[in-house]
Amino acid sequence: MDDLEFRRTLYADPNCTDEQILAAIAEDPKKQAFCKELKQLDKNMQKASQIKVPDDLVHKLMLRQTMQSHRTSKVRNRIQLAMAASLAFVVGVSFTMWQQQNLLNIADQAIAHVYQEGSHALDAQDNVSLQQVNAKLAQFGGEFTEELGQVYYASICDFENVRSLHMVMQGENGKVSVFVIPHDDTHNAQSFASGRGYQSQAMDVNRASIVVVGEEGADIRGIKEQLKRKIHFSA
Amino acid sequence: MFSRKQNSQATVSNDMANKQKRYEVLVLALHTDIFRYACWLVKNKTVAEDIVQETFLRAWKSLDSLKDEKAAKSWLITILRRENARRFERKQFDLVDIDDVSVMDDQLSNEVEIEHRELRAIMASLSEEYREPLMLQIVFGYSGDEIAQQLDLNKNTVMTRLFRARNQVKEALDKANDIRGSKNG
Repeated sequence: MDDLEFRRTLYADPNCTDEQILAAIAEDPKKQAFCKELKQLDKNMQKASQIKVPDDLVHKLMLRQTMQSHRTSKVRNRIQLAMAASLAFVVGVSFTMWQQQNLLNIADQAIAHVYQEGSHALDAQDNVSLQQVNAKLAQFGGEFTEELGQVYYASICDFENVRSLHMVMQGENGKVSVFVIPHDDTHNAQSFASGRGYQSQAMDVNRASIVVVGEEGADIRGIKEQLKRKIHFSA
Repeated sequence: MFSRKQNSQATVSNDMANKQKRYEVLVLALHTDIFRYACWLVKNKTVAEDIVQETFLRAWKSLDSLKDEKAAKSWLITILRRENARRFERKQFDLVDIDDVSVMDDQLSNEVEIEHRELRAIMASLSEEYREPLMLQIVFGYSGDEIAQQLDLNKNTVMTRLFRARNQVKEALDKANDIRGSKNG
């Protein structure tokens, strides 16, 4: 190793631990002195570099961080609150929608009932009086206050696990089936349906729902309005 | 429901307390070195203090990203250097090059201090590319490899700069001694 390289290396790092350098230092007292001198310079520079740190710097650093974290935690609280609120909102809305979707469409159900039952009720030719109808309707706390016209059939039957009144009446064009169903939370009382040659409409009256099922194409609105007008419930 | 909420809040504040603790340890252990490094980087105590505050604030915000406590020093230096660079992006303010070290230290009394003062002036007069690696070596005791990594430089470049830095310091010292010598003589 030549002298120049030796000096360069030691200048770059006086505490160099390269074996060649250390060997060269050990051999030559001049190099030893040179190395010592450089180390002394380093020591001096190290001392000179120790600038006095302001006493309050530590406190300032701690304080700023405390303020900062206080601010962020406030912001985070707000964000969390907003998240919770939106979540609650979404849950509420979706639950309502889910519940509505799960409501039993009683208009549909009435058609199914009539279809399944077949001719049993529709072909009945009993002449049921208003008193007889009212006697059955009394269970639900209701009565018809006026004559209903021709009633061919009236019976208590099971409507999706709810006891209800099933009647067959003379409508404007053809026979219509009428169901009086006590209120149930799972029913959708404002529905319309059609199919299997029938159409039906449900409506809400006081404490019960009335579903009118007629043949497809028949006008059942008239009889629906008529029933609504004539039925009364005791309070 | 409420007790659950309190529980999670307790964990959150527990995490917070841990983070706080880590931060405090970090500040106590390293603020001196970081401040000195900043001083030598910008050669102005007031500016250095600002930068150090910004550095530690940034460190606090991203404290979770610091996995290895041993790397804390070089992590902070990296943040500090970025903050310093940002300072120039923000505004081009008139930074007076303070070769006069009286600003760096206001209490100089004895002979040793005067000697240090002279050395400080010389160190401050080095250009940044020489001063920075020299300070890393002297203040932090970094090896050539570590300096190269910290400053993102080739090791040979670092060694050359260190050599030139010492060379300049030595020359300046010799010159000052000559002047003093001739004055005294």
